[in-house]
This record gives sequence, C-alpha cells and structure tokens, in this order.
Amino acid sequence: MESRAKKRCRDPSPSRGHQGGLWDWSCPETRRRMEELYFREQDYIRAGSEDSCQFWTFFERLQRFQSLKAEREQAVLSPSAQADPSATPGLAGLPQEYDPRYRINLSVLSGDMEELVRGKRGDRRRGSGVPAERLSQFRAALLHYLDFTQKQSFAKLVKLQRERVALPITQYRDRLLRAVAQNQVVVVAGDTGCGKSTQVPQYLLAAGYSHVACTQPRRIACISLAKRVGFESLHQYGDEVGYQIRFESTRSPATKIVFLTEGLLLRQVQREPALPGYQVLIADEVHERHLHSDFLLGVLRRLLPARPDLKLVLMSATINIRLFAGYFGGAPVVQVPGRLFPITIIYQPIPQEEAAANRKPERLDPRPYLRVLQAIDHKYPPEERGDLLIFLSGVAEIGSVLEAAQTYATHTQRWVVLPLHSTLSIAEQDKVFDMPPPGVRKCIVSTNIAETSVTIDGVRFVLDSGKVKELSYDPQAKLQRLQEFWISRASAEQRKGRAGRTGPGVCYRLYAESDYDAFAPYPVPEIQRVALDALVLQMKSMGLGDPRTFPFLEPPPQASLETAVRYLREQGALDGAEGLTPIGNLLAQLPVDVVIGKILVLGSLFRLAGPVLTLAAALSVQSPFLRPMRPDPDCATARRPLESPHGDPLTLLNTFNEWVQVKSERAGGSRKWCRRRGMEEHRLYEAANLRRQFQELLRDHGLLETTAARPRDSYARQSRHRERRELHQLRRRHEETEGRKRKVLKLQEGEAGSTSDEEGAGGDRSRGIDIQDVKFKLRHNVDELQAAAGTALSSNQLTLLKLVLCRGLYPQLAVPDHYNSCRKDSDQIFHTKNKQGIVLHPTCVFAASPELLQVTEKGAAEGRRQDSQEGLSSRHQLLAFVSLLETNKPYLVNCLRVPALQALLLFSRALDTNADCTRLVADSWLELGVPDSEAALRLLASAIQLRAAWEGLLNQQLEGRCGESQRALDPREVATLRQGLLEFLEHEVQYTLHRLTALEKQNLYVGPQTVAAALGLPGLFQGAEMMPDEEKGGYRVTDFLTYNCLAGDADLYSDCLRSFWTCPHCALYMPFTPLERMSHENSCRPQTQEAPPEEVAGSPAKPSALQRPYRCDVCQQDFMFTSTEILRHRKKHP
Amino acid sequence: MESHKEAQLKGVFECHLCGLTAPYSYYGQKPPNTRSVVLLEESYVMKDPFTPDKDKFLILGSQCSLCNRRVCVGTECSLFYCKRFCLPCINENLQAFPLEIRQDLDKKKSHSKSHPSKNADART
Repeated sequence: MESRAKKRCRDPSPSRGHQGGLWDWSCPETRRRMEELYFREQDYIRAGSEDSCQFWTFFERLQRFQSLKAEREQAVLSPSAQADPSATPGLAGLPQEYDPRYRINLSVLSGDMEELVRGKRGDRRRGSGVPAERLSQFRAALLHYLDFTQKQSFAKLVKLQRERVALPITQYRDRLLRAVAQNQVVVVAGDTGCGKSTQVPQYLLAAGYSHVACTQPRRIACISLAKRVGFESLHQYGDEVGYQIRFESTRSPATKIVFLTEGLLLRQVQREPALPGYQVLIADEVHERHLHSDFLLGVLRRLLPARPDLKLVLMSATINIRLFAGYFGGAPVVQVPGRLFPITIIYQPIPQEEAAANRKPERLDPRPYLRVLQAIDHKYPPEERGDLLIFLSGVAEIGSVLEAAQTYATHTQRWVVLPLHSTLSIAEQDKVFDMPPPGVRKCIVSTNIAETSVTIDGVRFVLDSGKVKELSYDPQAKLQRLQEFWISRASAEQRKGRAGRTGPGVCYRLYAESDYDAFAPYPVPEIQRVALDALVLQMKSMGLGDPRTFPFLEPPPQASLETAVRYLREQGALDGAEGLTPIGNLLAQLPVDVVIGKILVLGSLFRLAGPVLTLAAALSVQSPFLRPMRPDPDCATARRPLESPHGDPLTLLNTFNEWVQVKSERAGGSRKWCRRRGMEEHRLYEAANLRRQFQELLRDHGLLETTAARPRDSYARQSRHRERRELHQLRRRHEETEGRKRKVLKLQEGEAGSTSDEEGAGGDRSRGIDIQDVKFKLRHNVDELQAAAGTALSSNQLTLLKLVLCRGLYPQLAVPDHYNSCRKDSDQIFHTKNKQGIVLHPTCVFAASPELLQVTEKGAAEGRRQDSQEGLSSRHQLLAFVSLLETNKPYLVNCLRVPALQALLLFSRALDTNADCTRLVADSWLELGVPDSEAALRLLASAIQLRAAWEGLLNQQLEGRCGESQRALDPREVATLRQGLLEFLEHEVQYTLHRLTALEKQNLYVGPQTVAAALGLPGLFQGAEMMPDEEKGGYRVTDFLTYNCLAGDADLYSDCLRSFWTCPHCALYMPFTPLERMSHENSCRPQTQEAPPEEVAGSPAKPSALQRPYRCDVCQQDFMFTSTEILRHRKKHP
Repeated sequence: MESHKEAQLKGVFECHLCGLTAPYSYYGQKPPNTRSVVLLEESYVMKDPFTPDKDKFLILGSQCSLCNRRVCVGTECSLFYCKRFCLPCINENLQAFPLEIRQDLDKKKSHSKSHPSKNADART
C-alpha cells in the first residue's frame, strides 16, 4: 500500500494514465466514478456534499504542488540522509526513507470497495474500470485532505482558546466569582472588547452555577451570544446553552444558561413574580438605558429581598457606574479595562461661513465629508487596509452623502460606498460585512445603528457628524417626534471606539472640541423620552402600585406618567380608580400596543378573528413596503392591486393574504413576488410569527375557540408528515452549510445597491433553497393560513372590520381640512384634536388617491341632494390613524377612512347636544350639524343602544373568560348587535362637519344652571336617568352623552313646533315636538328584550319631575309613573 | 443529539506541554459514526466543534510513543511519523529521524523565534 502511494507521489503527470489512455481528473465523469467508490453514504465524506467540493479543490491544489515539487527534486537530487533508528528501542522500525504519508495519523478503510474494484479475479481493469494507480493516487490525496482538515480545525481550536485567554476579563475571573459568591448584586463595568458578555456566563457555569439568565437589549444579540458561548465552550455543555426571543427558543429542560431579551424576562416576572426558575440573572448592557432595561432593574430591586438566594450581575460599559451601584445599595464593582487600540482624534468643525453658505439648509452639505475621504486617500497608501465608517443622523442625510461619495468613488476607483440603516432590506444591510477588493476601501454611511447594534470589523477610520435623530415623545400631543440632536459624550466615545477594534485608528469629528465638552455626558434614557402606556399597564398588572411613586433608576417625567394613565383610562384599560379593567388585564398580557391589543379583543367578538389577527400583526411590525431612494414605477404598478381604497391597514391585510397565497401556490416564489413589489419579505415573516403568537394568546384567554384540528384522513396526515420530514431535512442541510461566506464587493456595488440584485440574501439561491420559506412552513400550518387568507371578506364583514379598527384606534382621528378640495393632491392637510396641519405619509393610499376622501364626488351622481356650500353631505369622512410621526413634517401613518357621523356617535368619549339634537359636538372638537332633528334623534338613540349592547357583550366576553364557567355569549345577541351596527352605518343623513375654533370651544357650553331650565324628557333616551351636568350644563344621559348643554342655540322654538301626531303603538293622539314624539315613541315601543319598567323601578332611581304616584287597580300595586308609563302599564291589563 | 450528548462526559484532555485543555468524547482508534476512517494511534477525540455535521471528529492528541505523556497534535508539541512523538523526545533522538523531519524542525525553530510561540500565550 505504501509503495503505491510513493509511486503516485512521484508521478509527474497525473492527468495522463500509464496505460496510455487519457486520464482526466477534472472530467466530471471521472470524479463521479471516484465519488461512487469513496464518498458513499456511509463514508466520512459524502458525494455531493460541501465537503466533497472542498476535497476536489484541495485535490487540484495538491496536484499542482506535487508536480512542482517533483520538478524541483529532479533538479537537485540530493541523496536522502540515512536516519539511524537503532539508538532507542522505541524508535526501531521507523522507515528509513521519508515519505509524507508517514506523517498522517489516520487511514481510510475502504478495502472492501477496493477489492471489488481491483477484482480478486485478477483483472484490475474490471469493476469500476479505474486503474489501480489512479485509485491509490486518489486515496493518498484523500488522506492528505483529511489530515489537512484535522489541522485546520485544530488550529481553530488553539486560536479560540488563545483568544479567550487573551481577553482582558480573564484576569478578573477569580475576583468576579469571589464577588458574586459574597454579594447578591455585583456590577461588572467593562468597555467594548473586554469579553464580559461571552465570558461571564461561562465563568458562572464553570463555577457551578446553573439556571443563569442573561438579558440583552437586542434579539439578535441573544442568538449570536448563545451561539458564541456554545461554540467557545466547544459545545461541552451541549444544549445547556440556549436563547429565547419572541418567536424562537432553543430552550430545553437541560438549558443551564439562557440568553433572552429584557422584555421577555419582564413577561416572565409578570407570570411568576419571584422568578423561581433562575439562580443567577445577568443584565447586560444596562448602560444603554432602554425602557425595558431600566424597568427590569426596578423590578429586580424589589424582588431581591424576597429572593435572597438570587444573584444579580449587572454588566455595563464604564458609563455612569455609580448610578447602578448606588441603586443597588452600593453593590461592588468589578472594573475591567476594555481592549481598544489607540485612536487619534481629529476635530474638524465645519467652518461657519461654509455652514452659512449652504443654500438648502434642509439638505446636508456633503462637502465636509468628501474632504475626509480625500484626506484619507492622500495620507494613507491604498495597500494599507482599513475602512471608513460615517455616522449621520438619518436616512435623508445618508442619501446626500452617499450620492456625493459615490460620484467621488467612481472618479477615484478607491472606494465602495454603502449605506446602512434599519429600513434597508436585510440583504442590503448584510453587504457592509462583505470585503472590498484589494486597494479599495469600504465607506459605510450609517445611522447610529452602527454605534452599538451592528459591529463591522476592519473599520480604521470613523467620521462622526456628532448628530443623532431620536424619537422624542410629546406627551401633550401624544406625538412621536423624530428630531435631530447633538449626541452625548458617551455616544461620541462609542462612535470613536469603532475605529480601534482591530488596530490603531483615526476618528474625525465634524465639530469642535469645545462642542464636545458641551455635549451632555450621557444620552437621554429611553424612559424619559417615550410613551409610557405599555409600561404603566405592565406595572399595573404586576401589582407594582402607583407608577408615580415607583422607585425607578431615574424617574420618567411626571407628565409622561400622567398622560399614560389618562390614556389608559380613555382606552378603557384602567378604571376611575386606576385599577385594571378586565380588558386592561388582558391587554397587559399582549405584547403589543394598547390600541392593537384592543383591536384583537374587539375583533374576536364578531368572528373576525382571522382578518383581525393578520391586521394586528401587520400593524405591529415595520411596514413591508420599502421606500427606495429612487422610486421605481414598476414597483408602484405591481403594488397597485394590493392597495385598498379603505385605507392602509386593509392594504396590509390584502398584502399579507396575497403573500400567503403566493407561498402556498408556488413554493419559494414569494421572494421574487416581494422583490417585484419593493417589499421586504422578512417583515411579512415577522408578521406571520406575530400573528401566530396573537392567535395562541387569544386562545389561551378563551377569546378564540380552539379549533380542534379537523381530523384529517390518514392519507393527508401521512403526506403532511412526509412533507415536514423533508422540510426538516432541508433545514438541517442548510444549517450544515450555514455561515454566510463573505463575498468580495464589486467596485460599483454601492450604486447597484438600491436595486437589490439576484443573489441578495444568503448564498442559498444557487441551490434553490429558500430557507426562510422552509422555516415558515415548519412553523406554520400553511393550509390553515391559506384558508384564512383565501376567503374574501364580504362587504358586511369589511364594514364591521373597519368599525372594529376604528373603535380600537379611537380617539386617533383626523379630520380633513375644509379647503382640501381646492388643494393639490400632495398638499392635503388634516387636523387632529391636538395638532393641526398634518399631512399624509407618502406611503398612504390616500396620498395617491385623495379623491377617496372628498365629500363632493360621486354622491351627487346618486341623485342625493348636495349642498356643498353649506357643507351638507351624508358622506363626510374621518381618518382613523395608527400613529402620528413627526420628522420634518407631522405625518399620519396607516390611515383608515371612516364615516364621520357614525364613527363619532359610536365612539366619542363625550357627545354634547343642543335641545333638539340637531347640533352635536364630539369630544369638544368636532361639531356635527344635522338639520333633520328627527333623523338625528333616531341615530343618537340607536347609537346609545348599540353602544350599551356592544359594551355589555364585550364585558361579558372578558368576564366570562376570567370565571371558570366559560359561558359562551348568546349568539343571538351578537347577531342582533352585528345587524344593528350594519344598519346604523347604512343610515344616510345629511349633515355638516365642522372643526371647532378655539373661540367656539371657549363658549361651547351653557354652563351650570341653577334650575333645571329645560324640561327633562324622560323617555327620550329609553328611560335613562337624566342628571343635571354640573360643568357643562344640560343633562347627563349616559357616561358619554350630555343633552342640551350646548350654548348659543335657541332652544326656544323646539317647544313651539308641536304638531299633532298619533302614536302607532298606543294610539295616543296629541301635539308633540319632535323630541317629545321620540320620547314617547321610545317608551311606548313594545320591547321584548327590555326589562319591563316594574323591574327597573327596583333600582334606586330618583323620581323624576314628571313622575307621580299611581295606583293600579288591576294589579293592586303602587308605582311612580310618568304619564306615558301609566299608559303603557294600563296596556298590560287588557 | 443523544449520541453526542452521552459522548460528552468522557473527560478533559490536557496537553502536557502546552496546557491546552478540551473535553474529549472518545479515546481509541475508531471514533464513532465514522465507519471508513481509522486512526493509526490511540487518540483523544472530540466532535469537531467547527462544523455542525455531527459525524465529523477532531483529534486532540495522544500519548507520546516514547515517554507516554499526553501531548496535543499541535506542531509545537508533537509530530506523527508512523507513531506519535513529543517534541522533547524527538530532540533527544534527532538522529533517528530522516533528514526531512530534522529540516522541518529546524525551520520551525527559527520560525518560532521570530514569532512568540503559542505555548506562552496559551498557558495560564
């Protein structure tokens, strides 16, 4: 065997066979034959695997190397010095003549095969037909290859261990473990690169702690840390290292350490306040001061005394350590130096005259940035590698620098310019990790996403604009505002540090050192600049008492807390005493915005769960619609069929449903489908995951009947089973070859960047596997999804869905400006109660088709009387919106159009009327004028009834789920409500819609009245008790309706305009005002569902002015009755 | 999963020379699940942690055929020439080895003088 190997090694021309026939190793047929022999299913290398490809590459290199070596050795044929193995007995028998083969410590057992090949019958050419020389040549190469892969992996192992040992934190291991043993809380402070996130969990595990949870602010960090820690510990803990994020978990009973998001740990506290499942909690990156992180610390501080056995390790950059240590009663601090190379800082403030000369101040002037690129080109030779990372405040700024830098790059051929921000597609974000060709530098133009979230190796230069755009929250307007600020000194240092990760670096700062000194020391913690609704809700459900007195790390502004409490009360999540209502209790458990949570709950009542789940999910993720720098008309055309004339939420619903259809029809075709429409498919996957989570949550809370999976026939079951097995195989195969290899960027990459090219995400395309699609099919029941997505909504369902959405979104309403019809399409403006002059977000369907919102359009065609001068119409519309975002302008995001009158009557928190209800004011800002008093009254009356019925059913549903008796709702009642709502919406009444001016608002109400001036009409609102309103005047009818409190309205004639009328029910013939007529009719109408008045009388109702004692002779009872009630009572005794 | 889990608890390999430590899951000449491959020496083997393919193994080290000390397969600690030899043993018996090996070692020596060897780093 060895002699054959030797012969092969000396073979100078391996491609030509000894038998004179042509032997071509690169011929696919040859390779296939060899693979059949050696790469069988049971062999170490399998045919067609990644491994076999690598082998052939190796094989070619080996052959080249050997033929070169053979030539050299022939030239200098030095006689090999004879070794003398006689000295030691252990050395006897070592071969005298050297052969590299002897250096390989393994062998391949394919003897059985070889025997077959060579043929024991002596004919060496039969069998496979491969000459023995070739076989041995191949065999030897295979052994070399295996040896090579062993060396490669071993080198990795050595490198890994060496790197671990070299981490700064290694020196502090014992100190840290001692501190943890002796204290309940320890703070580890260490800067970037000190290794705390990867090592501390491992130290704790090795020291014998288990049930360790390590929280991270970002999901992606949970996954990568779990992988890294598993890897570094050489998987010796196996599945004892796991992660848990919103939709994914690798956690098992064997898990000893789990990386999870802060939000998720908070959810666990909510379920099990003492966190009994953990022994050690590590809170990482606490210096980032995210809302959840701050809150988590507060919760843990309360928990510690109750769990004296629980250890808490806070990990932070060396920022404001005293704050954390102090918050936990002077916890000991283990301070670890970071590992950064020296970084030169160059302050290069933009000269004032240049800043002043910028003609368009909204647009960032790219010249100062270009100067830095030039300076780098001048100062550093291109062969010295090192990339540039530019920090800008926002996407628009990135656009202008990108454009200029690309022009410069095309000119110099020395740069590849790439954008980086969170709204880019994943594939485009990934490009920043690719390598530039030799002699070319990457220039990454980024938002502050690269400050902490994304780490790019190889950066040597940092260019810092010193600016950041941050969402700030205006609690008064309840508005998110994206504003530009100077960064903090801590952020500036973080940005600078990005230049020194792999070697000494340079940081250019486009501001003066004096500016730097004037920066705030730390960024504003999130808790001080965001809406706190969800936080307050969660606090309430954890029973943490009054959020105003909760001992936060640093308390949020009082106004934000007040707004949040008020908002939650408005939304019905908190009651008057700020306790959780049933719906609030449920909302607290849904990991979504209060508004979205409400929509979910509301939808389940009308059997709209399918579409509502989708809508809620789609509204909770970033929009899948990308906004490229240069709009693509083809994209817009392709998107058009998805657009709903009712509004953006329904467009999202259509999009998701269509996507599910595409997925189930053509496997893997959805990626292309999305690309053609300029959509980020990843967001749809997220929505699908979220949808499933919502579905499970609703089921858990008894709001969704558990659809017992229909018993399928065995054939279907089998085929589903087979399908899943195949999918699992696909995923495993993908995971084996996972780890996206870095590609080399093309010089013009940046420019082609925006039109995402074919080989975008991952390298899977070549093999035709869409791993996302595989995961999707494994996670979801596609048939079920498709069934839900495939059934089109009937127009009634659509109407109800819009109503549900609107009720959820209320009071987020905007009214079109009065003069919109005279404005250009792009200049349409809208007003909310607190904010005026808002525009539509450019992605909004109404931005493209504003005619959908116009009142004076087709209404006339239907023959309806239109009096546009007075603004009378039956088709006024309002926009319900999901959010309000302010950047350079305030924008309405995700709008839905709804009929104004009906929406306001059904949802207003406060509805004020004049005496004949021809004037209605909703929530003190929108005035409705309904000239037809009777119609107004009718609508109002049915609104009251519908609201009561709806509220009643909802409470019944929410309470029902609390009690053990899962008492189902009466389907008849639901159907009645459903029908009632639909009829209500079909009412066509002419009315005006007017936004009250500030002056009008001031003089809106008559104010408190000493005597009940207007006569009460008891039956008007179905016997509801009418109490004088002490603030507005008039009478409070229900918790939202105040009757006759509007000032400035002569209610004199309402009394005069009586006309004779016969009641169809009791045949009473009398002169009535319209109001009196309604009043009578309401109390007279035989109502089967209504409790008879006798029983109502049992409730402690004060006798109203019109009631008088009445004794019925027939039933021998005494009552307090009004005259109509007497009539009605008499009718009961025929 | 299970096979690799039960293979976990074999023990920890430590190189006598450089101090490299790693858990091993198999000791012998025939690592599990690799039918066609045999080792030519009794070795300490772990599952290759650098590939998700669970049938791939990684040889950590073995005993020096002369002094019987456990050494890793790293080129600064040992070499294989029909058998495993630790570097100190080779240096003592240099004449027993063919010229190619001696040249190889010389090369390495001059190399490791200019670069700090891994030994210094890896030992803590």
